[in-house]
Order: sequence, then structure tokens, then C-alpha cells
Amino acid sequence: MSSPYALQSLDKLQVGHIRHFDNLSRQPPNQWELMKGKGYGQEDFGGFRFQLAYMAYALALTHRHRLPAAPGLFKPIFERLIEKILLPEVWMYWRDVSRGGSIFNAHLAENYREEWNPVGRDNIMYSAYVQSMALLYNYLFNDSRYAQPAALTFRFWSYFWGGEEKRFEYDQNSLNDHIYWQMVQSGYLGVACEPNCVFQICNQPAILGFRMHDLINGGSIAEEVTRSYEQAWKDFGRIGDNGHYHIMMARDTKAVRQNIGKSPWVDAWTGALLNMWNREFVHDHYPRQIRDFLKSGDDGALSINVPVRPEVMGQRIISDDCDFGWVTAWVSEMGDAETLRGLLTHADRYMAPTWLDGGLYYPRNDMVENADGIRTLIEPMSGNVLLGYARLNIPDGLWHLYNEPWEPTHFEEPAIVAVGSDVDISRAIFDSARNTLNFAIERRRDVRGNGTVRIAKALARGPWSLACDGAEMARGSGNSLQIAGSLRIGVDGSDVLLYCPEGFAHLCAMTFESGKRDSR
Amino acid sequence: MTSLETSRLMPIGGSFCLIDHDNRVVSDETYLGHYALIFFGFTHCRVVCPRALAKLSAVLESLGPLADRIRPIYVTIDPERDTPDVMRSFLQPYPRFTGLTGSREQIDRVKKAFRVFAQRVDDPTGNGEYAIPHTAIAYVLDPRGRFVSHFTDAPSAEEIAVRLKQLLTTDCQPCGAGAVPTV
Repeated sequence: MSSPYALQSLDKLQVGHIRHFDNLSRQPPNQWELMKGKGYGQEDFGGFRFQLAYMAYALALTHRHRLPAAPGLFKPIFERLIEKILLPEVWMYWRDVSRGGSIFNAHLAENYREEWNPVGRDNIMYSAYVQSMALLYNYLFNDSRYAQPAALTFRFWSYFWGGEEKRFEYDQNSLNDHIYWQMVQSGYLGVACEPNCVFQICNQPAILGFRMHDLINGGSIAEEVTRSYEQAWKDFGRIGDNGHYHIMMARDTKAVRQNIGKSPWVDAWTGALLNMWNREFVHDHYPRQIRDFLKSGDDGALSINVPVRPEVMGQRIISDDCDFGWVTAWVSEMGDAETLRGLLTHADRYMAPTWLDGGLYYPRNDMVENADGIRTLIEPMSGNVLLGYARLNIPDGLWHLYNEPWEPTHFEEPAIVAVGSDVDISRAIFDSARNTLNFAIERRRDVRGNGTVRIAKALARGPWSLACDGAEMARGSGNSLQIAGSLRIGVDGSDVLLYCPEGFAHLCAMTFESGKRDSR
Repeated sequence: MTSLETSRLMPIGGSFCLIDHDNRVVSDETYLGHYALIFFGFTHCRVVCPRALAKLSAVLESLGPLADRIRPIYVTIDPERDTPDVMRSFLQPYPRFTGLTGSREQIDRVKKAFRVFAQRVDDPTGNGEYAIPHTAIAYVLDPRGRFVSHFTDAPSAEEIAVRLKQLLTTDCQPCGAGAVPTV
């Protein structure tokens, strides 16, 4: 079942966000240009792991809802993002954080020890992203590469310190099992992030992973966990007296930490994710919650109110809260089009949208407000990822992804399975009623690449014709081809290859003759 | 030497040494050669345990002679109150089950091995009573003592019976590469 949003082409901004994700994913290992936030050591909400994971989620939403017939655009980016999230630079913070010592666990710290395995205990703020990204990949691309033994290996060795190699081997299923049993052992309240700190937010990605696991392997882990999670939280409530989501629960005392300060990121992040399996609850509370955060600006622009964070242990907290980004992502999931338009208007007016190598992002700006008192603060997580996420998402996007799985026939339909790095795709949907693959492609001049577009599952459908902007470009049947236009076309195995000339930008339709399926 | 961990090597379950409700020392080895159906609970439990034990008893009844291949075990999470005598008395309505108890240390070890959640909640009246919300999962071990499946409290007795029959008649190994065989 295709989303109606797949019938519309992406706009230039949406295409730009995807290309920015692609650009970031192509950076060499341990090059993190544009991604470093204010905080030290990958500990806070702007960490690389969050940027990598939510780029993957945004791509998943876009593929599922907007470009279902273009797996080849998304799959390589997904692979590079997963490769990056396995790098020690992303997860080595856990060796230190696992020892405790924050105000939430200092009284327990003598029982903690340094942990090298980043998914062994707690740290769901990392493990669930690896799990859900790998399982999303399998589900979206019907490719079980991360189900292979040791496909998700966390490895560290330094020439300079630390002794022998540390290596922790998992795959998508063993990691899923491990997180599931941690969830069971917690009484379904959830797995901790930092020791003793069980955040509502950070257990939601694991639930997304469970759902993907069920879709791939069968079973009902997600149903079991969500049902039990609701039951377990019933005694504490998930919403505080002020109508905002609880931030976390202390595992030892079972004391919930309410969002007394009305931090926007708490409600926004929780609501954006919780919606996937608890839509009614999230939508019910959204109108009252969002009212506390929005701040009207000029000409339809909307910004947010952000309270000053209190000092902790006499220290000012320096971290990326990503309030603006999270609110925008949440609003997109809620389908609140007017508010979304207002927030993006604000971002486009005051947050310096920037094009780089064909990609669109909002560069980090640590200045909270400009001279006119207008919010300008933007973190890499918001500027690289969340504003793009919001622009690419559809109303209830995660809910639809979670609850409306693709039919198995989806994977048998013609689809674009590979694209040159210089080709943008703004539409890709297979219309089964008309037996036609509709797609819009543009070969960029400002990005290097070979201009190719590979279409799979095509030849087996029988004789076909390709038209671009209504003009017939080619006809084919089996290995025979008749080319009528400027587009170079070839057959490679069972795939059709298009070689787009520079500047090629067309809406194309590849139509198959019904009733004449080639038995191959 | 490389520090290598593979989660496949971290199974559910493991060795234990406890006392059964007839005051005999038992261990995981006692049950080798049979399937084990293990449920954790406490005899003061008002709802979860009676419901689970009744359901699992009905399942076993429905299996007929196949049930002879299964050793149903009820492990307490409340060893301070659940002595062997208390366990034997509590399990009289569920005669297929053998109750196991032990020292606090022994119980904590077996709870950890099976990833069991259990947390004492004191009665607010201050009368010294307490409840222990706990995991409501029935674990199945194969005749070699390996974890093969588990049942939450959601599936019906019929659904559990079907799944157990499949296990018993095919001697099947853990289903799927790494899949959590939950029912």
C-alpha cells in the first residue's frame, strides 16, 4: 500500500535534505564535519549517534511514504550510517558514563564498573539505535546483511593505550534478543540510559526495532512489550501534573522526574516517537502541551519558548538540547501543518539555511537570540537532521511505518535499486493498477557521478516502454531495445540501466504491457 | 588475548542449586532428560501466580501422555516466606508442579540467570506484609537444559499447548536465527 504522498514529487528543499544526509554519510571515517555540538564527549543529545540514527529514521520515513520505488537512493546511505554508528568515536563515551557519578546515580556509583561493551547493560540511548537501524534496514530493503553473525561488531583497539583489542559481536537478532530480555528484566519499565536513569524517550527506538523484528521474523514482541510497558507505567503515569511527559524514572527508587521546567525537547521527542504505537494518547495531549512552547513571530513565523536550565552541582550545563528541532519533528508527526509551516518559516528566515554540495542544512549557531531577541540557536542535530526530518515526514509518519507494513509484493515490483551520486530522485512509485513505474530524476551539474539509474525487476514484467515528460524514449523486450530519444539505455542482466546526460531532468514513466510477463 | 563477547553465548537460564518442596537438594542437572517448564513467583501472590499455574496445569492436562516429558517447576522469588512446606501446601491445587526454594543468594542467582524481574513492594499499612510484582513468563528448557522458548501471560492455554506440542513432537531447536521465540 503506497502513501498518497508518494504521488507528489519532493520539492527542492526535501531533495536537498536527503542529499545533505548523503553528504554527511560519505565523510571518511572519523571525519565529523558540521556534526560536532557544544558538549564534550558524545554524552548529550547532540551526539553523533542521534544524528546518525535520526537521519536513518528520516530516510526510512521518506522511502516508506514518499519514494517507495527508490530503495537504491536510500540503501547505500543507510549502510554508511550504520557503519558510522559502529565506530568507537560514537560509543566510547560509555566506558566513562557507565561508571556513574551524575546526580542521578552518584549514590550508586561504587557498585558500577567501567564497561567497554556499549550494549552490554543500560545505554539504551545507543543500543536501541543500532538495533532499530539494522532491523529497519532489513525491513525496508529486504536484505538480511545485519542478521549475519557478527554483522554488528563493536571493536576498539588503540596503538597507544588500553591493552588488547575489545570486541563485542552481535547481529540484528542477537542484539534484539538482548534488549528484549533487558526489557523483561526491568519489569517492562524500560532499559536505562545512564545507569539508574530510565528515560521514556530512549526506550521508544527499541520498540520500533521490536516491531521491525516482528515484521521480518514473525512474532509479537512489540505487542508484548508495549502492552506490558503501559501496564508497568500505569502506577506512575506518563504525564505529570502540568500535562507534560515525565522525563525519566530512577530505577532504584522508582521516582519519576517530571518535566517541571517544561523543556520542549522532552515532550517533543517523546511525542514524536511514542506516536508510533500510542497515537491516540499522544494526539490527545499534544494541543495542550504545544501551547506552552510556541512563540509567535512576524509574518507567520513561529519560534519556541525555552526556559533557562537550572545549574546542577553549581555548574552550568553545556549541551545540545535541540528544542527547536525536536518540536519541529514532533509537529510534523502530529500533522499540524500550520505550526510546521510557521516553524520552518522561522528556520528559513533566521537560521541561515545553507546549500553545500547540493545538500541543504542549517549550520550550527550557538547564539541563542539575535539583537532583536529572535531565537537563532541551532545545533547540528537540529540543523543537519531534525528540520530535514520534519520536512520529509508525513502526518503520523512513524505511526504509518509501524502499523501499515508493506505487502510482500512490494519487493517484487520494479524499482530503482541504484543511482549515480549525481542523480536526484524526487518521485518513485510503482502504480500497480497501470503497471507503470513513475519516477522523476535530475542529473546535477554540481556533483560528480556517472548519471546512472538502475531499474530492477523490470525485464521479467515483459515488454516495456519508457516515456519522459510524455515523449517516448525507448521500448524494450527481453534483451532487445529500441531507443528513440537522447537517453542512453542498456540492459544489464535482468535490470534496465539509464545513463542520464548532464542536465537531464524529467518525469518518466516506464510502462509494462500487462498480460505479457516475461517468464524470466 | 582478545576480549570477545557474543550474545549467543549469553543464554537464558543456567546452572542452579535449590531445594524442592520435599526438602531434596536439586539442581539444573536434576531435570536433564526432560523438558522443563519453569515459572517464577511467590506463594502470597494473589493473582498472577494462581492464574498462571492454573493455565499451565490445564495446558499440561491437554497434552496427555506428552506431558510426561515435561517437568513443571515453580521457583519462588520470596524464599524468606516460601519454605519447602509452604511451597508444597501452596502447590496442592497444581500437583504437576514441583516447588523450588533456597537461600536468598541462590534465588537471586537463578533469577538473574533467567532475567526475572521481581521487586518487593511493602504494604502501605505498615503491617509488615509485602507483595512482589514479578515477571509472568514461563520458560521452556529442552532435555539438555537449554532455553528454547518462553510464554508470556498473553497467549491462551490452547495457544501454549499448540506450541509445546510442536516443540515436543519435533524436538525443535530455538526457532529462527536469533529470533526471540515468544508466544
